[in-house]
Amino acid sequence: MNKRFPATALAAALALSLAACGSASSSTSNSGSGDSATIKIALIPPTTGALAQFGTDAVKGWQIAVDEVNAKGGIDGHKVELLKKGTDGDTATTLRVAKEAVAKEGAGFIGAVMTSPEHAALNAQLQGLGALSFNALGKDDALVGDQCAANAFHIVQTNSMDINALAGSIGSMPGNKWAIVAVDYATGHSAAKEFTSAAKAAGKQVVSTQFAPLNTTDFGSYITKVKSSGADAVFAVEYGADGIAFVKQANQFNLTKSLKTVLGFNMVSEPLFPALGASIQGFYNNVGYDVAGDNTLNKTFVSDYTKKYGSAPYYVPADNYVAAETLFAGIDKADSIDPEKVRDALDGLTFDSIVGSVTMRADDHQLLRPSYLGQVVKGDGGDAFKIVATAQPDKTTPQAESACSF
Amino acid sequence: MNAAQVLNGIALGSLLMVLSSGLAMIYGLRGVTNFAHGALYMSGAYIAYSVSLHVSFWLALVVVPVALALIGVVLELVFFRPLQNRSHIELGLVTFGLALIAERVVVLIWGEKTLSVDPPPGLRGTTSLFGVEYPTFRLAIIVAAVVMAVALVTWLRRTRTGLYIRAASQDLETAGIMGIDVNRISLIVVSLGAALAGLAGALAAPYVSLDPGMGDTFLIIVLIVVVVGGVGSIAGAMISGMALGIIQTLTTVWSPSVAVVVPYVALVVVLLWRPQGLAGRRV
Repeated sequence: MNKRFPATALAAALALSLAACGSASSSTSNSGSGDSATIKIALIPPTTGALAQFGTDAVKGWQIAVDEVNAKGGIDGHKVELLKKGTDGDTATTLRVAKEAVAKEGAGFIGAVMTSPEHAALNAQLQGLGALSFNALGKDDALVGDQCAANAFHIVQTNSMDINALAGSIGSMPGNKWAIVAVDYATGHSAAKEFTSAAKAAGKQVVSTQFAPLNTTDFGSYITKVKSSGADAVFAVEYGADGIAFVKQANQFNLTKSLKTVLGFNMVSEPLFPALGASIQGFYNNVGYDVAGDNTLNKTFVSDYTKKYGSAPYYVPADNYVAAETLFAGIDKADSIDPEKVRDALDGLTFDSIVGSVTMRADDHQLLRPSYLGQVVKGDGGDAFKIVATAQPDKTTPQAESACSF
Repeated sequence: MNAAQVLNGIALGSLLMVLSSGLAMIYGLRGVTNFAHGALYMSGAYIAYSVSLHVSFWLALVVVPVALALIGVVLELVFFRPLQNRSHIELGLVTFGLALIAERVVVLIWGEKTLSVDPPPGLRGTTSLFGVEYPTFRLAIIVAAVVMAVALVTWLRRTRTGLYIRAASQDLETAGIMGIDVNRISLIVVSLGAALAGLAGALAAPYVSLDPGMGDTFLIIVLIVVVVGGVGSIAGAMISGMALGIIQTLTTVWSPSVAVVVPYVALVVVLLWRPQGLAGRRV
């Protein structure tokens, strides 16, 4: 048997991997074919890969919101239909699926797109598509900076907003020598830079900064360097599977026990609590959504969500629910389902949501909403976030960038 | 450079060693580039998760290789043997399809959430070695990989079955003509290769985090390890796996961004300088 094809085999493996990356699943809708007055929203989350769980949960947020309005007869008499798509989070696939949903199926609104690169690419196409996008997941500041678009609405807090929410509390956290371990990604670099400034302003020292490539499985060398740096506190920016591997391995190296503070940035979240284990009790992390938020809308949402899906919502479904609330508030104000009229109605609009009263800033379409610092504590039903600090949008939200011009 | 960083490299190299030796065995004998090897590794990790959760991690170290060996028997009897006269690309595509199916099956059984496994009580915490406190579980991985390597090499060199495997790996047809039952040998090799992938998955479960895509991360690296070691050479795969683990980890200390490309640079250098791989065709 001929065995002289190792290079061919590797090339085939890479090609097949790339081919798989370009896959997209077909759509399903939840209310059959709609008529011309139906509000059609294309949901384009990742349904495969490491982000699939978040994609599934993003759709749940939209579904609850749509079920609620349809049960009340729709918005201004218009029923809402979700066109559920699926991608692998690849930019090209997402763009293709978005174009098909708008051009062939008549979607006027897009939601549940996940990563910042996907949003950046989508923002550039929105005007041509004549559709509005509601970003409840991509946190890159550039999305409301030089990548902003008149048809794009940034529902989730940006990285700067999240870091600013933490910055006010760094001074009161135990530990003076901080080590940073961040994902080698735009978000990781900007978070490390902002944190370093905030730590210095609070009189703390940053003794080590390391960037680990996305999908790092072995953090041994990073943890060893943190230990030898003499750090007594760690700021970690690692997501999903990377974050779990980092926390687990830090425990195996006995790093966590030797630290006074572990502050995560988008690292610790409710769906990961079981996998992260009890060792994260005491960890701090930014929290985008307070499930215990004391307002009627939130209580109804938490109740409906828990009843339908068997567990309380966390930031992914909650932020997507806020995205739906934003869209519906815009349609209500515009008294129209025409995307252009909805867009104009949303400029500067203040409305009540599950995160309290929020305002859509007209300058860059950033939703002004509070941010939180949480600490993981042992609760009755397992680990939970205890909100230890709340930062209002006037403290966390930078001025709209001049680079953003509609 | 401290001893802990060298141990980090040896621990990663140990994992690559176990994983790549199984792939090299299957390729050496069947000539199949098994793109499902990463899926076998992932399946091993998930089965280890369930066994650890309900019984113990120690039992998982026994159950997982046995379960994966059975999957290897199915692979051999249903796919590799009937398709042995087809082109390599066709067989490669079949194994790639099987990998995608395995990924979906894992999602259906265990869900999409990232999971984790704790080391067993006796292997938690750190142990003092060369003056450094080093994770006990990582030391256990290194010991397990060395034991596996010694056992495998001894078996290949000292037993009649090992002799047959070496002969069949050199030339399957001639080995058959000489009276070796190549079907039986292939069945042993494919099931053992799958078992080793499962063992690597079980060992990796408390080391990394579990997600359905975890096999993809390692597949390309392990394919490179096998090519660099000498396609089909088990000893070559072991040596290059260990070497790559150490070099990549030590490079990470210096520059993580450069460390990412180390396997690819190694691949290019070896293909240019020594296309038959470091060990050539020696099994």
